[in-house]
Amino acid sequence: MRLLALASRNLKEIYRDPLALGFLLGFPLVFMLLFGAIFSGDTLPEFTVGVIDEDNTMMSQAFVDQALPMVPVLEIATYDDTGTALKDLKFGELKAYIVIPPGFGQQVSSNWQGTKADILLQMTYDESDVMISEQLITIINDVTLAFARVEMPVTVDAKPIHVENQIDYIDFIGPGIIIFGLLILIPTSARTIVRDKEKGMLSRLLTTPTHPLDFILGYSLSNVAITIAQIIIFIFGAWAMGMDIIGNLGLAFLVFFLTGLCSIGIGMVIASLSRSENQAEPLAWLFAMPLAMLSGCWFSIEMMPSYIRTVAYAFPYAHAIDASRGILIRGVGLEAVGADFLFLAGWAVAIFAIGVVLFRRSMRS
Amino acid sequence: MTSPNDDLAVQTLNLARKFGDLVAVDGVDLNIKQGELFALLGPNGAGKTTTINMLCCLLKPTGGTARIMGHDILKQPYRVKDIIGVSPQETVLSERLNSRENLELIGRIHGVGATELKTRSQELLATMGLGARAKDQVRKFSGGMKRRLNIIMALIHDPQVVFLDEPTLGLDPQARRAIWEYIIRLKKEKTILLTTHYMDEADFLADRIGIMDEGKIVALGTSHELKNNLLEKQTMVIQAQDITEAAIEKVRTKYAEAEVTGDTLVISDKQLGFQEIVGLLHQAGVAVRSAYMKEPTLEDVFLQITGKELRE
Repeated sequence: MRLLALASRNLKEIYRDPLALGFLLGFPLVFMLLFGAIFSGDTLPEFTVGVIDEDNTMMSQAFVDQALPMVPVLEIATYDDTGTALKDLKFGELKAYIVIPPGFGQQVSSNWQGTKADILLQMTYDESDVMISEQLITIINDVTLAFARVEMPVTVDAKPIHVENQIDYIDFIGPGIIIFGLLILIPTSARTIVRDKEKGMLSRLLTTPTHPLDFILGYSLSNVAITIAQIIIFIFGAWAMGMDIIGNLGLAFLVFFLTGLCSIGIGMVIASLSRSENQAEPLAWLFAMPLAMLSGCWFSIEMMPSYIRTVAYAFPYAHAIDASRGILIRGVGLEAVGADFLFLAGWAVAIFAIGVVLFRRSMRS
Repeated sequence: MTSPNDDLAVQTLNLARKFGDLVAVDGVDLNIKQGELFALLGPNGAGKTTTINMLCCLLKPTGGTARIMGHDILKQPYRVKDIIGVSPQETVLSERLNSRENLELIGRIHGVGATELKTRSQELLATMGLGARAKDQVRKFSGGMKRRLNIIMALIHDPQVVFLDEPTLGLDPQARRAIWEYIIRLKKEKTILLTTHYMDEADFLADRIGIMDEGKIVALGTSHELKNNLLEKQTMVIQAQDITEAAIEKVRTKYAEAEVTGDTLVISDKQLGFQEIVGLLHQAGVAVRSAYMKEPTLEDVFLQITGKELRE
């Protein structure tokens, strides 16, 4: 079959090229190893965080005494009033302090009983260290979410509340690195197509009964095989590095897979618009790098200005990161990530349609 | 302009292609019979490759059309692509595939069955002397080996009409010879259209030659016809000692041109009398060592028709 003949040829061209293969799999793995090494074991950073419990319920006490100390990077110091905490923050004794406002226990209880309620925490942090405060926000956010989803113990005894998931940095960065690996598919997808176009392989094959659609599907199929291999290797790599996998792995895989399809599609569009590898390569990175920044795989996009967030959420990658973090770290299901899921699927279909149209047009003579 | 004829392997009907203002192919009418080896001979930029590209449906004509085994290139491009085999001017191979995989890619696209594909690719690789390297990635091949592979890739699916665009471009004489021998063997089975700017290649291989210049076919016929019918003058080359001015003057009274360089005298005119010239020189006391009528070459034909040299 023409399609399979083309796809297997494309695949051989890539997996027999150590440099291309190393780039696809090695580059993100280097990042993963690097981050894993930096944020693991004995060298875990310790952030001292002050806590003022104004709610003073069993629930808030459990949160302070049980949940927060479970996070390995946090050193918890309790305060009675904000004045002292603020002073310590200014002197650099604290990285941040959290105020648990009255009503916190109530809010968490409602969540436990299945009624959704916003959980409110106030956090004051040292602005001068952006990276740390950003991480802290994410960590506190995640631990609170994890805490709020814990099954309700039947008695309101002072039973220790067990927080299942300890959020550490690899958990936070893991999905990001996987998404980054999938972003690298943009230049790869563009490069393989444009190289064939530039070197005359497309013209050569157009003298055979190959239809333009055969080409597109042939390239897509080989890239899809690469995507699947990438996802499996990355998930395994992140897991080996200590990333927790709480939720449904199949669902997470599907999120990554749709993200990979979007990258392949963007690469196809770029290839259709370029005449040579020299044009396609920078153009592809021009997309991939800003998209990596905006996706939240390195920095939390919560911190970014709202118009940047709007741009970020117009592309699939920020949705992919939200969804995959939710599934992998917090163990949420389709009901929580359904919207992201639909967005990714819609995007993948749309970009493929655009790619097919542009590619066919670029093949005309 | 001729009318469609389904018995012809390749028929072009006032075929033309413009690129902006540039007229690359300017109303070409060709009739290539089945089983014929036809060579398009012309300098670089004459429009040979553009013609081939239109015939294998890569490029749309801006005027006229063509028929391959009775199938119109505009109306039935995929029927045409089914029955042709193309060896492009630029060698295009999948560098990280081995030679067998490269062959089989084209074969599979044409729907050749697995068993047949295996025997055919083994056969073709062996005839081209590539059998021992069948499993090596082609990026390790020499230019000549790639060229040979490029040619058999046009034949793996047993096409009815084969296009060879400059099959020996840039090859050393030995490699050229090997490819020529292979093409001669193919000649009996296939219709072949080859382009070349080497006049000896066209001369040696082709049943008929079309000389192309500036997008037009300027002369058409067998090598013999072209040389004999079109050349308006004959040339005689004489090696002799003691060539005197007086002897040359004597020759010049009868023939248009007579030039001496050292011991060589070259005489040319529409009609030369071999015996008469030798006699004239003898009388003038010139000791003729050798004398022969110079065979015209296609180079001469090209010069005659276009007033330009066919540069290699």
